[in-house]
Amino acid sequence: MNNIWGSMEQYDPVVWNWIIAVYLFMAGLSAGSMLVAIGLKWYKKNRGLPTEGLPVIKAAAIVAPVSISLGMALLVLDLTKPFEFYHILLNYNLTSVMAWGVLALLVYIPLVFVFAALVFEKQVLKYAPWLAGILKVCRLLENSIHKLIFVLAIGVGAYTGFLLSALISYPILNTAILPALFLTSALSAGSAGNVLVATLFFSKEKSDCIDQVHRIEYPVAFNEALCLVLLFVGLNFSGPAAQGALSAITQGVWASVFWIGVVGLGLLVPVLSSIFAPKSWRHTKGFLITVSCSTILGVLALRHFVVYAGQSYIS
Amino acid sequence: MTKRYVLVHDENKCIGCQACNVACRSENNVPESVTRLQVRIEGPYGNFPNLHFKYNRVSCEQCENAPCVKVCPTGAAYVNDDGIVSINENKCVGCLYCVAACPYKVRFINPETRAPDKCDFCKDSRLARGEQPACVTVCPTQALTFGDANDLNSEVRKVLDTKPSYQQKVNLGTEPRVYRIPSRRGGIKA
Repeated sequence: MNNIWGSMEQYDPVVWNWIIAVYLFMAGLSAGSMLVAIGLKWYKKNRGLPTEGLPVIKAAAIVAPVSISLGMALLVLDLTKPFEFYHILLNYNLTSVMAWGVLALLVYIPLVFVFAALVFEKQVLKYAPWLAGILKVCRLLENSIHKLIFVLAIGVGAYTGFLLSALISYPILNTAILPALFLTSALSAGSAGNVLVATLFFSKEKSDCIDQVHRIEYPVAFNEALCLVLLFVGLNFSGPAAQGALSAITQGVWASVFWIGVVGLGLLVPVLSSIFAPKSWRHTKGFLITVSCSTILGVLALRHFVVYAGQSYIS
Repeated sequence: MTKRYVLVHDENKCIGCQACNVACRSENNVPESVTRLQVRIEGPYGNFPNLHFKYNRVSCEQCENAPCVKVCPTGAAYVNDDGIVSINENKCVGCLYCVAACPYKVRFINPETRAPDKCDFCKDSRLARGEQPACVTVCPTQALTFGDANDLNSEVRKVLDTKPSYQQKVNLGTEPRVYRIPSRRGGIKA
């Protein structure tokens, strides 16, 4: 504190920290995992193929509820008044993206647990036979529940982007690309998370339906790369403050996180490995685990990059 | 008629003495680690021998279109009837969305209440008693003018109608209620 006007500590533009970045990742992971699993279910159904007991769907029934619950726990603990968080459930200011998120999550989270309970119905009934009646009703509504989860998952994936793009004074955050970027990267995290858990715990045969999940990875990676290009090209044309923010990818520690984590681990490793890896590797456990971990780390790096580099440049 | 309180900071009269800063802390019992108001001394600007410092008042701008109020999920951040951007601590959960959304970075978490805090033109104390905010009263060079801009006979109205002024970050559409009379001294960037 050398200035006569006092400490500048409270004026740090980086207000939200890694906990928010991890929450944004967890919410995206959960939403992406649901979108992939429900999409796969519809894909199989349309072709008259069986959908019960698919490893990827079982994996999603674990990944989605666990990640959103951990994410919510982090979010609540990060509040300055965690024991008064119930106010956010009682009061809604509808101009606030956070309020939209609360509303979406309020329906999404219970439905994800219903999804999981239906996938693991036998196991659930073994430990909680009193749930039989409710599960029966849910089973009857299963198709509608899936449609609703699918829409809400898009909402949850996109709202995390709008949450940040509503912060008008940060050029990197205040763009319409951000929700699209978050939604596509949520899909890559979700499919990688599903493949990882399916490979580790549920897969009996080598291919199962991991193949189909793999197939969406190309277009998703392409979209993610496109969003990143649009984001930075757009910044270049949006005035001096936005141009200044471009140094986020050329200078400092967040530039390294961007090139090594987001581009390297998140995009290059998965795409190049599926082009160049020998065929005999492709469905080995080791390969699938390595590639999906790399994708997940890439998306985690993206959320950190957006939160920290995004807040570091203020107009 | 509704109130439209505005504050004018004359950067030609200000000497950067921080009397306002200290008076604010004392009047509003602001904890030592945080501050509602500071006057940053920036520069020097211009070229020798025409050098000068700029006095930048940093405090809540009382935006007429306040980003903090728009993003608050619970409505704890709100605009009061008198146009002053206010905080209902009981509704606040401490998500920091308003702190992040403020383009002027003048919101902070008060370590005692765990809720956001900032300048409120002394509305519950001095303003309620019909007095001027502490910073305005204490300023030794009368660099600050405060009042209701909707009152056609008010001092602020006269100052803003007769002198050039600017507001910070108008491009963001926040419509700040803190007006600044720019320094008369010039200087091209070296």
